[in-house]
Amino acid sequence: MTSRSDKASGRIGRPGRFWHDNGLGLGFGTAFLIVLVAQAFAGHADYNNQLLGDGMAQVGFGDYITSSDFGVDVMENWQSEYLQFFLYIFATVWLVQRGSPESKELHKAGRESDEDQMVGEHAREDSPSWAADRGWRQGAYARSLGLAMGLIFLLSWLAQSITGTAAYNEQQLRQLQAPTSWAEYLLSSDFWNRTLQNWQSELLAIGSMVILSIYLRQRGSPESKPVGAGHGDTGVEG
Amino acid sequence: MLPRWCGRVAAVVAVVMVSGCGAVSERRDAATAATERFEQALASGQYAEVCRALADVTRQEVEQSTGSPCEQGMSQEKVPDGGRVVHVDVYGRQVRAVLAEDTLFLSLFPAGWKVMAAGCTPQPEQPYQCEIKGG
Repeated sequence: MTSRSDKASGRIGRPGRFWHDNGLGLGFGTAFLIVLVAQAFAGHADYNNQLLGDGMAQVGFGDYITSSDFGVDVMENWQSEYLQFFLYIFATVWLVQRGSPESKELHKAGRESDEDQMVGEHAREDSPSWAADRGWRQGAYARSLGLAMGLIFLLSWLAQSITGTAAYNEQQLRQLQAPTSWAEYLLSSDFWNRTLQNWQSELLAIGSMVILSIYLRQRGSPESKPVGAGHGDTGVEG
Repeated sequence: MLPRWCGRVAAVVAVVMVSGCGAVSERRDAATAATERFEQALASGQYAEVCRALADVTRQEVEQSTGSPCEQGMSQEKVPDGGRVVHVDVYGRQVRAVLAEDTLFLSLFPAGWKVMAAGCTPQPEQPYQCEIKGG
């Protein structure tokens, strides 16, 4: 979000500043694409090794990246990442952690007042128009981030189940076993093993970040408290 | 009103889904045709044709297990006359063809669909038991 100080300093709209002002989004977006392509190459080689072992024809790169095998490997990770943010966004409304910059101040647990949230009559001149609305638009907008993350989680989890069914059945046929239906796959160990191994790692990462950031610092990072902040300081970002 | 890019994304998704369904349908037809060719050759005793329909790894397995060239080996194998194709499952590059009296497994190779296993009967909680199979 653009802050008033950014506007005042004239950063926005100045030629050449675009890359600087959007470095975080661009950096992670680019890194995502590079790593996705790298995953595709590694997955392609691994998949062909399996086919070779089974005496079957190897597949081209284009065939692999449109296969259910690649699809399920991508989707199982996407769903867990979006679940992580969905849970974190909603959990941090109500749950607080003393000393953690990931938590808000202890007395602010809950949805907070309209004044704190700058909605309705407390909306500022530069607030999004739906924040100033008093009806359903404000209610929807006030939950839009969590709902978007939750929706993407559900869609990618659904995609995991569909691509997972196809990938699992392809492997079943390679091993001369009968394929299963989507409903059967939802109860299978393959589906839940893929799902839970990702969920546990995401929950571990969140929990670690919440606790470690109480005692450890990263100078200059907004994810950390200032280096000199006390361990008991809560809701303070560097 | 939704941004214009939403429409473009929806269009791309629709095209991918339609082309994906089309690809599965084409694969099912081609695998069914390969199954029928295999069955016809088997029923008429055209073992050279039968062997051409087998995957390399399956042909080698037949030769190894019978100690004979494929054509001769196939004449000794007890692969039943499968009859008509009842149902075909297609997942990626693998197929299970369920026939009236038999079940075949096929895999897609550059030269088309080849039979990986035939004369297969289901086993509870286990892989099919097959008269001939590769690997």
